[in-house]
Amino acid sequence: MEIKNEILYRVYILLFAVVIPAAVVLIYQTIYITYAEGGKWRKKGKELYIATRPVEPERGNILAKDGSLLATSIPYFDIYMDPNSTGMSEKDFMDNLDSLAHCIATYVDNTFTPGGFREFLLDRRRAGDRYVLIKRKVSYAERKFIEQFPLFNLGRNRGGFIVEKRSERKRPFGLLAQRTIGYTGREDAKPIGVEGTFDEYLGGQPGKELMIQVDRTNDIWIPLEDLSLVEPKTGDDVVMTIDINMQDATQEALLRAMNYHDAEWGTAVVMEVKTGAIRAIANLGRTDSGWWETFNYAIGTSVEPGSTFKTASMMAMMEDGFIKLSDTIQIDRGTTEFFEQTMVDASPFSAKIDSTTVRHAFEISSNVGMAKLVTKYYGQKERINKNEGAARFIQRLKDFNLHLPTGIEVGGEGNPYIKEAYSKEDQWSGTTLPWMAIGYELQLTPLQLLTFYNAIANGGTLVKPYVVQEIQRFGETIRTFKPTILKRKIASAKTISMMHELLDSVVTRGTAYKLRTDEYNFAGKTGTAQVGYRRTSEGKTFIRGYQASFVGYFPSEAPMYSIIVVINKPRRGGYYGSDVAGPVFREITDYIYRTQVKLHAPLNQQPKPALAGQQLPASSSGTRADVLKVLDYLKLPRYGNPASEVVALRAQTDSLMVLDRSLTAKNVVPNVTGLGLRDALYVLENRGLRVEVDGYGKVARQSLLPGTRAQGQTIKLFLQ
Amino acid sequence: MGRKREAAGLRNIDWATFSLFIALSAIGWSMVYSVSYSQEAGLDFLSTSAGKQLIWMGISAIAFAVIFAIDWKFWQTLAYPIYIVGIVLLVLVLFLGSTIKGSTSWFVFGSFSFQPSEVAKFATCLAMSNYLSNYRTNLRTLRSQLIALGLLLLPVGLIMLQPDAGSAIVFSSFLLVLYREGLNSSYYIVGAFVALILVLGLIVEPTYIILSLIVLSIVVLAYHFEDNRRYWLLGALTVAAGTYFAAVNNWSTQALLAGAGIFVALSIVQWMQKQGRIVSLLLVAVIVGAGLSYAANFAFNDILKPHQQDRLNVWLQPSKADPRGSLYNVFQSKLAIGSGGLQGKGFLNGTLTKLNYVPEQSTDFIFCTIGEEQGFVGSFSIIIMFTLFLIRITIIAERQRSNFSRHYAYCIAGIFFIHIFINVGMTMGLMPVIGIPLPFISKGGSSLLGFTVMVAVLLKLDSNRYRI
Repeated sequence: MEIKNEILYRVYILLFAVVIPAAVVLIYQTIYITYAEGGKWRKKGKELYIATRPVEPERGNILAKDGSLLATSIPYFDIYMDPNSTGMSEKDFMDNLDSLAHCIATYVDNTFTPGGFREFLLDRRRAGDRYVLIKRKVSYAERKFIEQFPLFNLGRNRGGFIVEKRSERKRPFGLLAQRTIGYTGREDAKPIGVEGTFDEYLGGQPGKELMIQVDRTNDIWIPLEDLSLVEPKTGDDVVMTIDINMQDATQEALLRAMNYHDAEWGTAVVMEVKTGAIRAIANLGRTDSGWWETFNYAIGTSVEPGSTFKTASMMAMMEDGFIKLSDTIQIDRGTTEFFEQTMVDASPFSAKIDSTTVRHAFEISSNVGMAKLVTKYYGQKERINKNEGAARFIQRLKDFNLHLPTGIEVGGEGNPYIKEAYSKEDQWSGTTLPWMAIGYELQLTPLQLLTFYNAIANGGTLVKPYVVQEIQRFGETIRTFKPTILKRKIASAKTISMMHELLDSVVTRGTAYKLRTDEYNFAGKTGTAQVGYRRTSEGKTFIRGYQASFVGYFPSEAPMYSIIVVINKPRRGGYYGSDVAGPVFREITDYIYRTQVKLHAPLNQQPKPALAGQQLPASSSGTRADVLKVLDYLKLPRYGNPASEVVALRAQTDSLMVLDRSLTAKNVVPNVTGLGLRDALYVLENRGLRVEVDGYGKVARQSLLPGTRAQGQTIKLFLQ
Repeated sequence: MGRKREAAGLRNIDWATFSLFIALSAIGWSMVYSVSYSQEAGLDFLSTSAGKQLIWMGISAIAFAVIFAIDWKFWQTLAYPIYIVGIVLLVLVLFLGSTIKGSTSWFVFGSFSFQPSEVAKFATCLAMSNYLSNYRTNLRTLRSQLIALGLLLLPVGLIMLQPDAGSAIVFSSFLLVLYREGLNSSYYIVGAFVALILVLGLIVEPTYIILSLIVLSIVVLAYHFEDNRRYWLLGALTVAAGTYFAAVNNWSTQALLAGAGIFVALSIVQWMQKQGRIVSLLLVAVIVGAGLSYAANFAFNDILKPHQQDRLNVWLQPSKADPRGSLYNVFQSKLAIGSGGLQGKGFLNGTLTKLNYVPEQSTDFIFCTIGEEQGFVGSFSIIIMFTLFLIRITIIAERQRSNFSRHYAYCIAGIFFIHIFINVGMTMGLMPVIGIPLPFISKGGSSLLGFTVMVAVLLKLDSNRYRI
């Protein structure tokens, strides 16, 4: 019994003093780790080691009206290596090290020898590094190539191959509309332009990726490619109203003028009359290295417009029924005084005349005439202005929406500044009204002024300017921005038509006379504003510089585009609006006229041009049916009706002769020079020849001489 | 003792043990799958870890069947030959084996590898059981004690040559069976004393250990006064308090000298009072303790290599270990278990474990996969299942009529206990990180096969227990 008890005692000791306490200790520790320390571990587990981190989405593109890329994100890749990847075996590493080092040294980076890279990688592996840069900024093709290197081809986990995708914003058209396209994501500057305003669309949705932290001290995370992640949603594309060709022409014209006149800054905007769509917007500012799009002057700079504002003064008086174009006014030979402040006309014509018609005063842009008219009708509180005086004038300007920003979607628009009548705060004085009449003591941005002129061109309907017409996702339109009418009618039809007449005559007879062209008609107003002036109490004015502008629309019969050109502080080559800004305007309208066929009167409704030989293409030939169809469609007189398959044209003085362009027999190489490629191919391949083509245009040369036997040889055509 | 009972085969199998064995193996396989499936995606199934493990499970099943077909007496009869084969394999592996992570402990055949120390464990179980069941063996005699110790130390020595400390430590499990079979308790008490001093010696200044030993001895001596015991004790406690006060105020050396003086004085007084036995015992304890603590301190600082020091630091004083170096495993493992919460992240959803964040994820540290994916519920269940498994083996052991069977059952109970306790303990930072697998659950063919053979033989012996 003693022994049995002893044994039982020992068994119990084993069970109750060893096995069960061990189990209890283990369970206690499990509870301790899971509960007492659980929060700490879970937090660390989530934050410090593995975490879902946002993945930058690809940014959407900004497109011009025709789909040209104005801004796009070019992806590139940074290649890293994790030489201590968990899945990388020592054997894999050592087996591939030599060839990997060789590949890197040969194809990727020649700053080290293969031996050098071998040492380097070995060293990094021994040092426990998990993130070794192989190369930054490689293209997709290079990335695919590097991926094939020994060891890397085993993948992320076994081969330690890490790819980080990044992207770079590029503007393929460089300077074109750069400021309006804008940018985001600069550390030192706020987002601007369409990039900034439409960031919500362009930005897309960041994705989520499970990343693992491989280095806590340097906070290095590498992605785990085999785990679920939320794909980032690529940003939507923003289609601007910009017409890339018009933009190019506008920018070029402005740049030439800037260079020629050595100006401070300049802007030119082309707006579609019916819709308010901005087709071109160029802004150039002086920098140390020439003129760049450094600021959006068109949208952001409020300036005193000067004479271009006379249009508004005129329109206010017409709308109130105060004046007719034929009324006579005094212009006092171009000099007068308001409260001891002298006002002088810039126009040399004024000096010769005492009085003239309202119309002529506007044509020659007489400051005195305009200021006198305005002070006459609004200067006193009288019955005709319902005892409102200047307030009535201001009210008119407000009717034209000149006191409000245009509300263009691009941020940073400058506010207009129109003084309240008789307001002390605005320092209203006796000279305010006459100077307002000629565009001083008030401020407008070029775009606001253009919007006003656009309303005149548009028959009185004020539309909001806009630069973005739609949002696209993978080429599908998901949202369209329609033109917005801000005011159905800013003035009566009669006033508008009188304004048309006035603005026409500025070009046909007035300050812009030298800008006119026979090809098309346009209307507009010149402006030569003083900038940085100082008026002394003695009535003298010191002027630091001028701002030349021209704003108008074209064609004047049925306006399609309104355009403003403002050039600030030209230093040479004149300073008048008609000399500095006007030519830019003309260059733009010329370009538009030349490129937009719908602006041209149909040819067949005009007198027929003499069909002289040199006005026709030298060798016009083609299949008979095609040629006849074209001639008949264009209603061009022709004679001759050969039965051959291919015909040629020869111009006579009054008509076109259709000639037989006979081709040789079936088994002989024909002469195809002068034919279009389509016809040449048809003819040659019908004869069993193989055709190689070089260049484009019409066949200029052929490699096989006409008359050679056609035996299925290869014939080379050189097109021009 | 009915006829039916005597029939061999699965009918007499101990279903509780068998079910636990099958369940743990199945859980193990699914954990291996969970750890490896994402990293090995795209590989042919049979070449993935899970596929290989399945093949090994098949081989283990065949081994199980074969063992059940073999006569139960086979194991006792061939215990020594098998032991010799095991020893020969251990010798051969030193010359022919492959070196993996610094240990020459593997035979590698193609993509499968096998560890002879697994055979040695089993073989030593058989040999030890056979030796203990010999009627001439008496663990109260020094001769028997030395032979038993020799059976144990031969494979341990060979394994230490590989070197594979983890597998060697497993052999300490045989101390359990020796205890059950009557080895004197005082060995264990002395052993525990030595181990305690050694471990303390690693983390505490030897001076403090000796001081504590002296103070304890003074208290014990004071207790042994028959007259005025109360005053003697009070005085001893005053000395203890004074020593403590001195020690914290950097007067350790003075305190040591004073303490030693008091101790010697009391010893002489007690010696005169015929308490020689207790006095000599305490003297030996203090002297041996002092020696051991200096030895441990010296060994730790001057003999152990930095990585070995680190391992001990990880276990004993984690604050001294480098969290991204040697503490990393345990840190990550705790992180995985801790992040599992009550119910875990769900099967295949453990981010830390699946990503191989924890080194040795599918082998030694597989328990943290359970912790992360199945949460506390999972960890708790596994520990309970293993505990039940051990208790069940103990019950089986105690019901054996054959001494061999009983010893064998205790042997493998010990082996399982050490594996489970150390493995689970190390994933939670309770035990030093020793590379030994968790039975049935860790990936690894030879360990699965080894454990299966152990269980199969146990169940076979058990199913034939009525035959004697």
